[in-house]
Amino acid sequence: MFAQLIDLMNILKDQTGLAQLSWGNVFMIGVGITMIYLALVKKYEPFLLVGIGFACAVANVPGSGLTQPGGLFYYAYQGVALLIVPPLIFLGVGAMTDFGPMIASPWLVILGAAAHLGIFVALIGAKLLGFTLPEAGAIGIIGGADGPMAIFVTMKLAPHLLPQISVAAYSYMALMPLIQPPIMKLLTTKKERDIIMEKPRQVTRLEKIAFPIIIAIIVNLFFPPIAPLITMLMLGNLLRECLLVDRLAKTAANEIMNIITIVLTVAIGSTMNAEQFLTLKTLEIVALGLVAFMFGTGSGVVMAKIMNVFSRGKVNPLIGSAGIASVPIAARVSHMVGNRENPQVYLIMHAMGPNLAGVFGTAISGGILLALLGVR
Amino acid sequence: MPIQDNVYGALLISAIDFILSFVIIGGIGLLLAAFPLLNRLGKLDDESLKKPH
Repeated sequence: MFAQLIDLMNILKDQTGLAQLSWGNVFMIGVGITMIYLALVKKYEPFLLVGIGFACAVANVPGSGLTQPGGLFYYAYQGVALLIVPPLIFLGVGAMTDFGPMIASPWLVILGAAAHLGIFVALIGAKLLGFTLPEAGAIGIIGGADGPMAIFVTMKLAPHLLPQISVAAYSYMALMPLIQPPIMKLLTTKKERDIIMEKPRQVTRLEKIAFPIIIAIIVNLFFPPIAPLITMLMLGNLLRECLLVDRLAKTAANEIMNIITIVLTVAIGSTMNAEQFLTLKTLEIVALGLVAFMFGTGSGVVMAKIMNVFSRGKVNPLIGSAGIASVPIAARVSHMVGNRENPQVYLIMHAMGPNLAGVFGTAISGGILLALLGVR
Repeated sequence: MPIQDNVYGALLISAIDFILSFVIIGGIGLLLAAFPLLNRLGKLDDESLKKPH
């Protein structure tokens, strides 16, 4: 009788997830809970970390089936895997973004290319650590500081690295205010940080409407690999700038963006299972991501210093770091560092130009990378 | 794959990508510098754009 009871209990236990629960799962559940803690208590990117942390914790409970076909997390991941989610995020970003500062200061867009040296430092570093070239390319794109683009390129080059790369990219974007200022101060003098830049010109409505149309045509013509993202970015921006369809623009910027954020965060978190995540490769990718962000920040500042010399002291080098993308966090960091140095220094509008150019810089680097590796 | 999967390939791809990025972004900069010329075509009024037909 007692032995029969034990057998029944064992059968019951085997039906639960307890039988498959590993120490790795327990650790990753802890990681998920830590993310939720950081979001709620430390206010680190709560819109991203709450969903990622929750999905990470639940996905590591064996037996839930949410990440298997039939489970909702599985279908959320399909939205990422089939590259539906990243272009929709770009639609929302386009509808939220005023490209006026970029149009007003065309010479500053070069900072959007300069601040991407980190991509290539991380790419070469990853290759030296033994990653394949497509894997190294996907890791390098973390340095582009653009979450949807990092996901897009990773899904094309090394989809098995999506959890590590997306977590590294979004985490470092959240940590920009900590990573960038020491490098910016190290590479600039007090005199340079004090430079007050001239007010940019006013951009007309006609220019703002022409911008998304012209850029969408050029990108589709010359960069088909990244056209799905930039096209949606430009569509969202056209909805915003034409003024007539503000309902659509608001829907893209709010409702669609919010829904897609939930789907994206759940999808990323659900891929963070212990077997795939708790490896040496994860540590290497996280370290390379940090190196990429540091070099990107540094190269942007150095380029802005060069521009300052050629413009005879008209460019505050602090705006160079904004070229790394991560809109608008990096632009805010440029402004914050300058404003703390001298309360009369207002860099936000000046930094937004290179910051927005950084989105194109990441897209162009990613597009060239895909083309050179023969991926469409 | 047109580029070899080794460190030399990584260096090559990085150099090409970095330089091309500069050229293309520079091209976008030149294009944007010409944007004020668009204003010669006319002026769009915000209020009239907001009005439906």
